[in-house]
Amino acid sequence: MANLTFKEPMQQANTVRVRVRFMGDLRAVVESRDLNVSLPQGSSVGDLLGALAGRYGDPFAKWLFTESGELHHYILIFVNGENIQDTGGVSTGLAGQEDQVEVIMLPMFEGG
Amino acid sequence: MATEWIQTSCGMCYVGCGVRVQMEDGIALGIEGDPNHPQNRGNMCAKGKAGLMNLYNPYRVKAPLKRTNPEKGLHVDPGWQEISWAEALDTVGSKLQAIRDNPKQLYIQGWEITGDSHLWLHAFASAFGTPHYSSNGSPTCGKVIHPVEFFAAGGFHQQPDLHYCNYCILVGTQFAIAARASFNHILRDMADARARGMKLVVVDPIGGFAGSKADQWVPIRPGTDTAFALSMLHVLLNELGIYDAEFLKHKSNAPYLVGPKGLYARDPASGKPMVFDAADQKTKVYDDPTLKDPAIIGASEAGRPSFELLKEHVAKYSPEKTEEITTIPAATLRQIAKEFGAAASIGATTVIDGVELPYRPACVDWAKGPQGHKHGFHQCWPLKLLNIVMGAVSVPGGILSTGAAGKKPFQWFPEGGTDGLLEKGGNILPLPHPKAFPGRTPTKPVRNDLAEIFPLAPHFHTLLPLTAEDHERYGLDYGLEVMLHTPTNSLLGSFGDLKVVERFYRSIPFIAGFAVEINETNLFDDIILPFPSYLERFDFNAGTSSRQLGPCGQDDWFWQVRQPVVELAPGLRHPQEVIMELARRVGILDDFYRLINHTFRLKEPYALQPGRRYGATEVIDRTARCWFGEEHDLKWFQEHGVIRYEKDVEEAYIGPFLQARLPIYLEHFLQRGAELKEVIGQMGLDWDFSDYTPLSEWLPCPSYDAVKKGEYEFIAVHYKLPYVYGSFGNDNPLINELCERNPYAYGVLVNADVAKAKGFADGEEVWLESPVRKVKVKLKLTQCIHPEVVGIAGHFGHWSPGMPIARGKGVNFNSLLPTDLEHIDKISTALDHCVEVRLYK
Repeated sequence: MANLTFKEPMQQANTVRVRVRFMGDLRAVVESRDLNVSLPQGSSVGDLLGALAGRYGDPFAKWLFTESGELHHYILIFVNGENIQDTGGVSTGLAGQEDQVEVIMLPMFEGG
Repeated sequence: MATEWIQTSCGMCYVGCGVRVQMEDGIALGIEGDPNHPQNRGNMCAKGKAGLMNLYNPYRVKAPLKRTNPEKGLHVDPGWQEISWAEALDTVGSKLQAIRDNPKQLYIQGWEITGDSHLWLHAFASAFGTPHYSSNGSPTCGKVIHPVEFFAAGGFHQQPDLHYCNYCILVGTQFAIAARASFNHILRDMADARARGMKLVVVDPIGGFAGSKADQWVPIRPGTDTAFALSMLHVLLNELGIYDAEFLKHKSNAPYLVGPKGLYARDPASGKPMVFDAADQKTKVYDDPTLKDPAIIGASEAGRPSFELLKEHVAKYSPEKTEEITTIPAATLRQIAKEFGAAASIGATTVIDGVELPYRPACVDWAKGPQGHKHGFHQCWPLKLLNIVMGAVSVPGGILSTGAAGKKPFQWFPEGGTDGLLEKGGNILPLPHPKAFPGRTPTKPVRNDLAEIFPLAPHFHTLLPLTAEDHERYGLDYGLEVMLHTPTNSLLGSFGDLKVVERFYRSIPFIAGFAVEINETNLFDDIILPFPSYLERFDFNAGTSSRQLGPCGQDDWFWQVRQPVVELAPGLRHPQEVIMELARRVGILDDFYRLINHTFRLKEPYALQPGRRYGATEVIDRTARCWFGEEHDLKWFQEHGVIRYEKDVEEAYIGPFLQARLPIYLEHFLQRGAELKEVIGQMGLDWDFSDYTPLSEWLPCPSYDAVKKGEYEFIAVHYKLPYVYGSFGNDNPLINELCERNPYAYGVLVNADVAKAKGFADGEEVWLESPVRKVKVKLKLTQCIHPEVVGIAGHFGHWSPGMPIARGKGVNFNSLLPTDLEHIDKISTALDHCVEVRLYK
């Protein structure tokens, strides 16, 4: 499992640690199943995605976001098992010290 | 002997009709249509009636096999050896484990939509972490219809509203006569519609099942549908002045102003597209609450309405010019356009269940035929436009959108998005739907199927054989190492030129496949896993009619769970349990559960729990209770067969309730095209960008040019038979008998006058030669085919020893198709399905 701290130096007390699991098509560009991330307290899913996009650059960022900055419809994100569509979207907070975030890119599906 | 009838779901094609199977002493003796099932209302087709012969096929695979001959090839004997399940799963599991750190080396061919397999393999692929999952079987079918439908109507496929339509034009499809989803349902609707006087016009190179029953069959040169549609638009918009102005103003992007570079004129502050309000002579954003009368013709300082550009654009396609391209006489085209425009009854309304709705009883339907071309997207898009400019989308009598909306057991409905346009299609399952708007930003490819440089396409598997030939050319530093596949015969049905496909399959070091019988794809397998007949399976998802391809209009929505009528044969396992076992062995079972829970909307307490093991029936039981309530468990479905709900007007005719505009002008094609040029430039590839245009232009297929130059005499096209579904069932003796009794099935159609001029006789065997293959064929002469066309039916031409009845019969059409970038649609990835051929003795 890779480790990643996005803002340094940083006091442990002021950070949340998040475990990110990548599934689906994104694995092809991330080349890692899991990632440990430290983010400032109060960070949201959007902050996490921004940080990940900064780390991985293209094509990760372009697979994740539309040209206008929206999440593509094939991106699924769960925080501790809950789909962020049910919890406030990318503004969903990452409060826990052991948050498990799953970032999943599903293939477009079916047809002919 | 006691006779028992068991209700289940047919699995002889993707529809999923309700059937009753007659049982005596554990033996299935007969199959009948379930008269209480909303899909087929008791009807059955020949495929379904022949199902028992698949169950009792003596050539079925009933134990895992491994190949002993390491050499692979189209005609190489694999040297099968029967092995235990333990050895088979150990072998497959270890091969998957070996690529666990680089999972994109896995390719899953997941097309098997008679049951659950495609959904379960979809979850497996995502949990494993590969982007190489193909959920479609054909190199053409679905490549355009789904991405168009999701952004131009909201559902998965289109379906004429046979309940109210008075004038129906079918282009390159035998809808409701010989093909299409909900077949046994729409078949009766079509008969009823014709009996009450609906006029049916069939535009098709072949006057086959549909053409011969139509009021008017209009032969068209293959690959010229764009010109036909654009000329129809020209006659309607410019000569007759018939279009639904109110619909276009308020429910489409027709008023969006377009600047000199073809892009929308946008409000500098909000970035929103602007329109010109004729009511107060002001330019406003499209969703300005004061907007009253958005102009769709004329010009303003900011730009010209996109409808004005469309009108001007189609004026290039006069019927006289179009006749030279399509061979359709100008007078005939004008006659059809005039009748279609009149039948559309612009401005009319009707009341259904107390709700007043627009009434547009005319529509154009198209499917596989126009999609399968080098410029497939633009062969189809202007056909859809014909419905949009008439306001005949998702309203009574017009073209409806399958699976777009529902209220039970969940709520789903299409939604608007970017620039106020329809963006999010309706889908009962929360899975990403294929759509061509707004598309993805192109990047340098990581994927072997080059998805990144097809930013508007939903499927990409047609590229896999091409990149396998030369990964470096596309900047790829790896190839596929492992392939898993369903029983679908992808080698014969999913690609083209067999030499190219053979090299592709040989390039993958390890292949494991499910098999009902050993078809040509299985000949490349290293391990074969036996797959049960549909009469031995449990499937929560029994076909497509409940989900995305059901009957449109106000017919009941329904769901049926498939149950076995006989015990699972010794040596067989439920596919769901095989997939779960492989997931466990490679350490992804909990992730797999997460994705199955999402796919099937499983919430607590029904969601699959990490660390637990489940059988197939337990998963299906949980899903049934989650969806339909505790009282509707698996046992309930086994006893009652089907659950049904009435649809209200809002579900059946979504058009007036849609909070989004439909497109007539594809601005985003310019944006994605410009971005793609940059990426392709960096990659140093030679690429055709001619289809990245906001308004369709007719461009010829290679076959059109080859015939024009006199290099070849004919264009070969494929057509469907109502009793053949892909190559599935070709080894069924009853289906084979039908094909043998019908001289059209295994024969090749040629125009009788042309054949006689060449000295060919009916039934004569001659050579048919395409640029990539030469085969001996038996001719069937007919008046019902365009004189420049050769017609080939079904998916025949088998040689596998595991299919002894089908061997050596008919022609495999796909094998005639050149398979290279030149023949791939750069928008949709469809492989060109019209091919130049010559016939000689």
